[in-house]
Amino acid sequence: MKKYQLGEFEEIVMLTIAILYKEAYGVAIKNEIESRLKRNVSMGAMHTALVRLEDKGYIRSHDGEPTEERMGRPKKYFQVTALGKRAMEYSRETRNALWGAIPDVSPNVKFS
Amino acid sequence: MSPPQLPLRFFRWFCHPKLRDSIEGDLMELYKERLIKNGKLKADAHFIKDVLLLFRPGIIRPTEGYQNLNSYGMYKNYFITAWRNVIRKKSSAAINVFGLTLGISCALIIFALVNYHLSFDNFHTDADRIYRFVTEEHRDEVEYDASVPPPFGKFFREDYTFSDQVARLYTGDNELITIERIGEKNKFNETIAFAEPDFFKIFNFPLSTGNPETILVEPNTAIITKKMAAKYFGDESAIGKVIRLNSKIDFTVSGVLQDLPVNSDIQTEIYFSYSTMKQYNEWAASDDAWGGITSSIKTYTKLKPGVNPTDVEQAVDEYVKRFRPKSKNVHHYKLQPLNDVHFNARYEGVMSKTTIWILSLVGVLLVLTASLNFINLTTAQAINRSKEVGVRKSLGGARGQLFWQFTIETGLVVLVATVLALAFSYAILPQLNSFLNTNISINLFTDTRLLLFVLALIVVVTGLSGAYPGIVLSGFKPVLALKGKLSGKQTGSFNIRRALIVTQFSISQILLLGLIVMFFQMRYFSKTDMGFDTDAIIMMPVGSNDEKLKTVKSQLLQVPGVENVSLCFGAPASDNHWTTSIKFDDRAETEPFSISHKGADEDYLSTFSLEIIAGRNLTPSDTVREFLVNENLLSQLNLASPEEILGKNITVNGSWKGPVVGVVKDFHEQSFHADIKPVFLTTSGNTYNSIAVKINMRNANETLTSIEKVWSGMYPDLIYKYDFLDDQIASFYQTEQQMVSIVYIFASIALIIGALGLYGLVSFMAVQKTKEIGIRKVLGGDVVQILWIFGKEFTALVVVAFLIAAPVGWLVMTEWLSNYAFKVDISLWMFALELFIIALVVLVTVGYRSLKAVVANPVESLRSE
Repeated sequence: MKKYQLGEFEEIVMLTIAILYKEAYGVAIKNEIESRLKRNVSMGAMHTALVRLEDKGYIRSHDGEPTEERMGRPKKYFQVTALGKRAMEYSRETRNALWGAIPDVSPNVKFS
Repeated sequence: MSPPQLPLRFFRWFCHPKLRDSIEGDLMELYKERLIKNGKLKADAHFIKDVLLLFRPGIIRPTEGYQNLNSYGMYKNYFITAWRNVIRKKSSAAINVFGLTLGISCALIIFALVNYHLSFDNFHTDADRIYRFVTEEHRDEVEYDASVPPPFGKFFREDYTFSDQVARLYTGDNELITIERIGEKNKFNETIAFAEPDFFKIFNFPLSTGNPETILVEPNTAIITKKMAAKYFGDESAIGKVIRLNSKIDFTVSGVLQDLPVNSDIQTEIYFSYSTMKQYNEWAASDDAWGGITSSIKTYTKLKPGVNPTDVEQAVDEYVKRFRPKSKNVHHYKLQPLNDVHFNARYEGVMSKTTIWILSLVGVLLVLTASLNFINLTTAQAINRSKEVGVRKSLGGARGQLFWQFTIETGLVVLVATVLALAFSYAILPQLNSFLNTNISINLFTDTRLLLFVLALIVVVTGLSGAYPGIVLSGFKPVLALKGKLSGKQTGSFNIRRALIVTQFSISQILLLGLIVMFFQMRYFSKTDMGFDTDAIIMMPVGSNDEKLKTVKSQLLQVPGVENVSLCFGAPASDNHWTTSIKFDDRAETEPFSISHKGADEDYLSTFSLEIIAGRNLTPSDTVREFLVNENLLSQLNLASPEEILGKNITVNGSWKGPVVGVVKDFHEQSFHADIKPVFLTTSGNTYNSIAVKINMRNANETLTSIEKVWSGMYPDLIYKYDFLDDQIASFYQTEQQMVSIVYIFASIALIIGALGLYGLVSFMAVQKTKEIGIRKVLGGDVVQILWIFGKEFTALVVVAFLIAAPVGWLVMTEWLSNYAFKVDISLWMFALELFIIALVVLVTVGYRSLKAVVANPVESLRSE
């Protein structure tokens, strides 16, 4: 049984939220992912991921102040919860474990 | 600059309201960025693309509206709160459930009973076209007979074309059936019938084996039910076997019927071919027997579709002119619809529609009292929920929501009560059935009507009991409720509660009054002198025209312990009547009243201790030579003194003629339902049907054994059977006995529920008056004075309820007593007794709780303010 459910894109979104720390809201997360990973992120994909992560309890949100450039709409800030942090650590550990299990005799394994 | 409106509006429409603001903010921010960087065209295009990509599950709002997302949690909370309340107030919850269970159980049982009776004989095909021929006999008064003269059915079938089928059915009780099996003779006492073949075309009693076209056509054939077949022949096939009736007529079984449904008035399990009737009862089988009617023969018909029964009735009037032109007893033949047969008491119906309505009404009343009770208790506890209501309202609970919350809570209690009631009814059903002689079943899963009834009952009871408390509770003002400053006014008016209690107590008092009157009427039956001796007399049925009777009598007289033996048609009072008409002296006309004929030998008077007031007893004889008459005949004949009749001749039905030799003091010839009618006694030896034996009860068992020895010596083929006369007479009132027991149960239940309601009210009062009592005590009021605060309240309630119940009860019971020719008077002391019982119940219920309130230390009640 899977202990924590975390998709690849969801993991990226969570990591980005963690990086942005107090400044993690919609546009900022999108820009951060796009600049760091050099890939396009659609609003739809990102917001769906955010909704799902919040449902799972990995992140929580709170509304910020409405600003003028957003035509009076509040920013919604996201934050990783303790559960979310455990999920991220679990995901990292499994990967590390898998990395560690690759035997030395095959150093030339190619990943393509 | 703003983004294109259409996609924006689309976005706003589809987006989940919770996400809308923040995502829209993001879209705006991005749009502005792009507008500066790439220009309006590209920014617009990006915007549209973003909106379209956002149109996906997770972002789109749920169709049912997002408010509902929360409701399940709310419902869960309702259940939790309801459960906590039950746990916290165990006793009042138990009282509530108990009261409702009682009420609902009664409703269920009454429903099953009513349903059972209404279902009688409703399963026949074209039941609306099936009728029974009945007779109105017009003399001085009209009498009703559920039969017609024996040949009627045959003539009607041949003379008219109104019907598809006509069938006669002769039913006889206590007939001797002999089965010879493997050289062994088995004797049975059974109810048998002679049926014409059409009988099974009119009624839907299907055959299990045999040819429906030929059964009962041949003489000396029989069909029996599966049950009987198993009883007589075990596993062997019954077809072709021989059944012997009364040791003389043999029948061959030609068919086996499916077992009869329980909801039919026709419960005979052995049918013989009608064409064999001649060998059994020549008179009943003859085509000329228009002179009399025997209740044994019933005539049924299935009319053709569209035939009007009134036309048939008019047509058959012709028979009266043809066959009974001179009779003073003018017959009117009528058609009684099949669905009336079970209910019309005039024509031997067993369950009158009135009784059914009264029962249903009692059921409704009991459910009503149970609901009122619930309302009372719940509103009395309302103050305990005030904080909860306050909190819910402050947090935005709407009145409607609170109302439904409390209604659902009530619904849960009702549901639990219903389940308990079902279990309870199921458990007591066997006793009820054996007691009422019924075959009621309660099966929720196969009986859709019952299922619907139960569901409807749950809804109605929830509505009745839940609505008012719901309105009261949900109407609390949150501020007052949270401060704990609710007064009586907000927790439901005290007057409404009074009205509820008065209603409840009126209902219980009416039932109780009914019970008291019924009880004393029953006591009257058993205590009042019938006019003859009923103790220590056994009655033994014998076949008529029995030459051995005299020998049996002399042998019985030699048995030690036997005091007197009489050969007779029947006991002075019995279910068996033989009525006829007489001519008196030399009057030309037949007298216009009917008279009861009792065949009796010279020992009849001494056996039953009947009293002669003038003249002498009959002299021994085997044929009719002289008559004894009762006092009542004198007044019917307008004679002033017994001397005027002594020595005068009377002629019975044109055949028997003889002088009246004595006058007997009036005795009750029937049950107390009927008036005393004219009677004559005579030594008509061929009518003797019974042996009456007066025995000494001191060695009753030995005597009875010796009598049995005499019996089996004389009648080796017959089954020894006897009844005590007083048991027979008690069985006249079996229906009343059942009625009394039922009313007794219902009155007790109504009283219990009423007492529960009263307890609710007194608890409420005690809580309300805590401070008042405290202050009164501090200021020196003594316990008795303060108790009277409670006392006067409840005295007033009981008195008001009594003022309502007394006239209603009086009306109902006067109506009931009018069924009896001999009855008790409803007197003041019955009302007094009723009031006394109610007062006692109130005292016990109220006394403890109010005393507890009054003796409480005032410090406790006044300390916190």
